[in-house]
Amino acid sequence: MRLTLQMLISHGRVARKMGLGPESRLNMLRNILTGLVKHERIETTLGRADEVRFYAEKLIDYAKKGDTDTKAMKMANFWLTEKDLIPKLFKVLAPRFEAQPKGYTRMARIPNRENLDKAAMAVLEYKGNPFPPLQPAKRENELTLINQLLKGYREEQAQQAKTQKD
Amino acid sequence: MACRTVCRTLHRGFASSPAVVRPSSGGVHGQRSAVFSREQARQRALYPRTEKIEVVLHGPGLHGTLLIMNKGVSTPHSCARHLTEWHVKSSALALVDGEPWPLHKPLIQSCSLSLLSFKDKDPSLVNQAYWRSCAALLGQVLEDAFKDEYSVELLGIPELPVTSGAFCCDFVLDPQLDSWNPSEESMCSLIRGAQQLIHQDLPWESLEVTPSVALEVFSHSRCKQEEVEEKAAKSNNGTVVLYRCGDHVLLSGGPLVARTGLCSQYEVTAIHRLGEGAWGLHRRAQGLSLPFQLEAHHTVWRKLRSRATKLVTMPRESSSGAVPDLTLTQPPAPVHTHPPAPPQT
Repeated sequence: MRLTLQMLISHGRVARKMGLGPESRLNMLRNILTGLVKHERIETTLGRADEVRFYAEKLIDYAKKGDTDTKAMKMANFWLTEKDLIPKLFKVLAPRFEAQPKGYTRMARIPNRENLDKAAMAVLEYKGNPFPPLQPAKRENELTLINQLLKGYREEQAQQAKTQKD
Repeated sequence: MACRTVCRTLHRGFASSPAVVRPSSGGVHGQRSAVFSREQARQRALYPRTEKIEVVLHGPGLHGTLLIMNKGVSTPHSCARHLTEWHVKSSALALVDGEPWPLHKPLIQSCSLSLLSFKDKDPSLVNQAYWRSCAALLGQVLEDAFKDEYSVELLGIPELPVTSGAFCCDFVLDPQLDSWNPSEESMCSLIRGAQQLIHQDLPWESLEVTPSVALEVFSHSRCKQEEVEEKAAKSNNGTVVLYRCGDHVLLSGGPLVARTGLCSQYEVTAIHRLGEGAWGLHRRAQGLSLPFQLEAHHTVWRKLRSRATKLVTMPRESSSGAVPDLTLTQPPAPVHTHPPAPPQT
C-alpha cells in the first residue's frame, strides 16, 4: 500500500498493539486473565492491566449466565488456560458479583518498574478479594470539635424523632 | 407617727443605696489587673539568675528534640517559637509531663513537652479547654456590656461536654434589670463585643497563687470569694489558678487555650433565666464557637446554632429524669444519653 505520513501518526487510534500481532495480543491477555482469576490481584504494566480490565468484566458477565449455558462455558474454556479455574469462576466469582451490574474490577497505579525500561505499573484486582485494601478508606477524625458538635446534634435529632414517634 | 415616717425614710434610704458600695466596673478590673501584675512580677523575681532547663519535645516530626530554655521565664509558647510559625499559630494547649499546661505559663523544671492543637488524633483535652475559654470570653463580654451603674456578677462556668452543643456562663444582673430580656440588637452587640476581643488576639495568662492573694483580687465580689475558697479546698496543694485576658481576671475549672485569636466563628446564641438563686435572678448565657482551623459551612453553622439556642443542662441533672422547673422560657432539654465528659487530668 501507499506509505503515507498518516500511517505513522496514530492520532485518534484507540486499539492497542501488544506483543507480536493480534493473535499474540489475545494470548497475552488470556494468560494475564488466567492469572487474575487464579490470584484475584495481580501486578502488570499499565497498558496490559487496562486492556485486561475489559475482558475480565465481560468474563464475569458471561459467568453470571451460569455454567449450563453453552456460550458461557465456551468463553470460559477459551479464556482460562488452567481448566481447574473454570469451576472457581462459576462457583465463586459469579455469585460474588450477583448484586452488581458492572464494576467488578479495581485498578490502582503503583511506582514504575525498577528495570531499565521504567515501565508504568498497575495493580488489577477483583473487588471483594480477601487481601487488605489497596487504598484504605480515609476516615475523618471523629474526635475533632466540629465532629463532636455534629455528633451531639445527630443524637438530639434521633432523640426527637424517637419521642415524636412515641 | 413620727416613728413611722422616720422608719419609712430610713427604709427608703436603705433600699435605694446598694448593699455593697461598688466602685465602677472599670476601676474594679483595673484593681484586679494591678494585683495580678504585682503577683506575676513577684513570682518572676523568684528566679533572679537565669538558670537553664532541658525541654524534650514530643510530637509529629519532633520526637526527642531537645531545647535549652530558661527556668521560670520560658513558656511552651516560646518553645513553639523555636520551631515554626505553624507551631506557634496552631498550638492551643501544651502537655508537660502528661498534665495539661496553659501555653503562657512558665516552665519551672526540665520536662517533656508536647504541643496540642485542634487537629490531633485525640483533641478531647483541647476541645474541653476551648469550650472553657469560650465561656470565659462570654463572661468577659457580659461584664463589659452593661453600663457602670448596673452590676454584673459572674457565677461560674459549668463544665459541660462539647457534645451538649453550647458553652454557657451563669451570671446575675443588677436587681434593677430583673425584668430585662435580651433583644436581637443586644445579642448582636454582645456578639460584636466578643468579635472585637477575638480580633485583638489577647493571650490568656495564667498564674498560680495562694488563696489569700486570690481573695485580695476578688475583694469586691463575695460570690467570687466563695468560689476561690471552693477551688482552694478542691485543689491538691491549696493554690488557686487565676487567668487574665486583657483587663479581666477570672477563675476557671481547668486550663484555657492560648489566646482569643484561636476562635473564629463566635456567636452568643441565647440568654435563659434559671430562676431565683442564692445571689438573685440567675441567668445562663449560651454561645457557640469554632476555632479557625475547623470553620463550618454556613448551612452546618445554622443547624448547630439553632441547637445552641436551647437551654443546655448538665448531663447529671437531665439524666435524673426530673423536669427542671427553673426553665421559664424553653421546653426541657432532651435527656443526654452519652456518657459524661472524661475527667480532667
